[in-house]
Amino acid sequence: MAATTSGLETVQNRLSAITLYQLRRWALERLADLLLITLIILMLFPIFWMVVTSFKTNAEITSNVLWPSELQLRNYIDLWDTVNFGLYYRNSLIICSTTTVIATLFATLAGYALARFRFPGSNIFSVAVVGTQLIPGIMMMLPLYLTFREVTRITGIQIIGTQGGLILLYTGFYIPLSLWIVRGFFAAIPPDLEEAALIDGATRFGAFWRIALPLARPGIVATAIYVFLTAWDELFFAWVMDVQTIPVGIRLYVGQYANRFDLMMAAAVVVTLPVLIVFFLLQKHMISGLTAGAVKG
Amino acid sequence: MSVVGLRPFFRRVYRYRLAYLMILPTALLMLTVHFMPSIEGFIMSMLKLNQFTLRYFLRAPFIGLENYRSILTDPGNPVVAGITGAARNTLFYTIVVNIGTLGLGLVLALLLNRRFPGRRLARTLVLLPWVVPTYAVGLLWGAMWLRESGVINMILVDWLHLLRERPFWLIGPNAFWAVVIPTIWRFLPFNTIMILAGLQVIPDELYEAASIDGASAFQRFRYITVPLLMPVLAIMLLWGVIFTAFGYNIVIMMFGNGGGFPGEYADLLMPAITRQSFGLWQFGLGAAASILMMLFMMIFVAIWLRVFRNVLTQEGSL
Repeated sequence: MAATTSGLETVQNRLSAITLYQLRRWALERLADLLLITLIILMLFPIFWMVVTSFKTNAEITSNVLWPSELQLRNYIDLWDTVNFGLYYRNSLIICSTTTVIATLFATLAGYALARFRFPGSNIFSVAVVGTQLIPGIMMMLPLYLTFREVTRITGIQIIGTQGGLILLYTGFYIPLSLWIVRGFFAAIPPDLEEAALIDGATRFGAFWRIALPLARPGIVATAIYVFLTAWDELFFAWVMDVQTIPVGIRLYVGQYANRFDLMMAAAVVVTLPVLIVFFLLQKHMISGLTAGAVKG
Repeated sequence: MSVVGLRPFFRRVYRYRLAYLMILPTALLMLTVHFMPSIEGFIMSMLKLNQFTLRYFLRAPFIGLENYRSILTDPGNPVVAGITGAARNTLFYTIVVNIGTLGLGLVLALLLNRRFPGRRLARTLVLLPWVVPTYAVGLLWGAMWLRESGVINMILVDWLHLLRERPFWLIGPNAFWAVVIPTIWRFLPFNTIMILAGLQVIPDELYEAASIDGASAFQRFRYITVPLLMPVLAIMLLWGVIFTAFGYNIVIMMFGNGGGFPGEYADLLMPAITRQSFGLWQFGLGAAASILMMLFMMIFVAIWLRVFRNVLTQEGSL
């Protein structure tokens, strides 16, 4: 009889131990949920604030009002009237998309070559690719500017102040990192398929074009988006090269309307919006592509 | 190389002609926008290049290592004074921002890697600060940090009553944090998503086996998660340091309406060198400062490679 009781007790003890464990686990999970929600709110708050403030009047901003009294679009209309946004948008779109196409194409070709061939000089080339990322922009800027001026003086071809000049710079600047990402994608594809195609009589380039390229497409799309976003964000060289892209326009604008934070927030919303749209349209490609590239290295 | 040795070499080059053709456009572009200006920059760093000699460009008077000497040992030089302060700020900025983005990124990724309803939505929301262009980040936070009408003081002082006085965020030592926090905010999402991807490829079986063997949650994290995450963390650290050390947009847009002096606590090297080179027309000094900055980056990369070599080669990353 005594033995049965103690047996029952053990079972009970074990049961309560399990529920205690589960209870603790449940509590920890809820705590984690709470922490996550807090962090997400903290991260989203500035964006929320940016949008809300862009609808306020300047008086409402200086008097610390939480909500705008009405949903007025005055700031956006003023922005449109005072700034030549049409020009900036057109310049930025042309420059960023052309850069994206050319840089991604070249990076894909070179990335494939690095992933598949061990040619004489491939190591030096790899080191050079990574090395380019260590050069401070300011160091390249003045030589480039002065050289471009020389080229114009000798050949008469205008580079400074043209979209083409900035496209040339951006393409060169963003190829190394894109190449590195794309190379990772090609390296992650087993070479068997291409070898089979070669045996079946495909040319080496054909094997790349028809077999490897389609397989690496998610990574290439992600890389292209990355290039576009980086170019969209570039202020320094656009400013020096005197090309009126959106960042340059915003900087000029901010210089003129120093304390008009109502207008500035509207400007911030307007420049974030296109990126946000691109992000929501392509988010699946972007996340899966970029992360796969990083993880497979 | 002897004549006999040359022939097999050319044969090998010819055999790989497709590879050379494929890297050709990239190599040419890198030569044009990276290497040619770098060499010119290196030469410039040894010239007396100011407003009087600028039109001679590379034919300006050669002064050897004078510019370097001036930067490293001449505290009286007005150009140098600004740059040393900026160098110190950049060092701390780089360290703090990267500890912040990697540490918080790891926490966020672990939180997101659990099973819960709305997981996909949470992941999307976390990424949002990443789409705000950096120059807009400077504008936005510049407005948020304002002493009188900024929302940060509104929250800290008026709502939560954490502080009695409204602090200045953009003036004085606080300005350093006024630059650090937005940078972490902007770069945290990208690191989080990368680390999350790294977490997701760790096989569940490893954790299950460890649990059966009696490993605690902390031990599982310490001996499974951390080592397997190392390649991702190492890569994120490398890019993070490069991006932050060369940081420009956020600072330049937050202070002085897009171009002024951000104050001694928020000035970073890129804005400082730019301002000093152009404001004081000291291009030789600017080039020398840039070369020194590049040397520091190279030292960092060398250390980075030594520390993480094993981690990276295991994974076949480099």
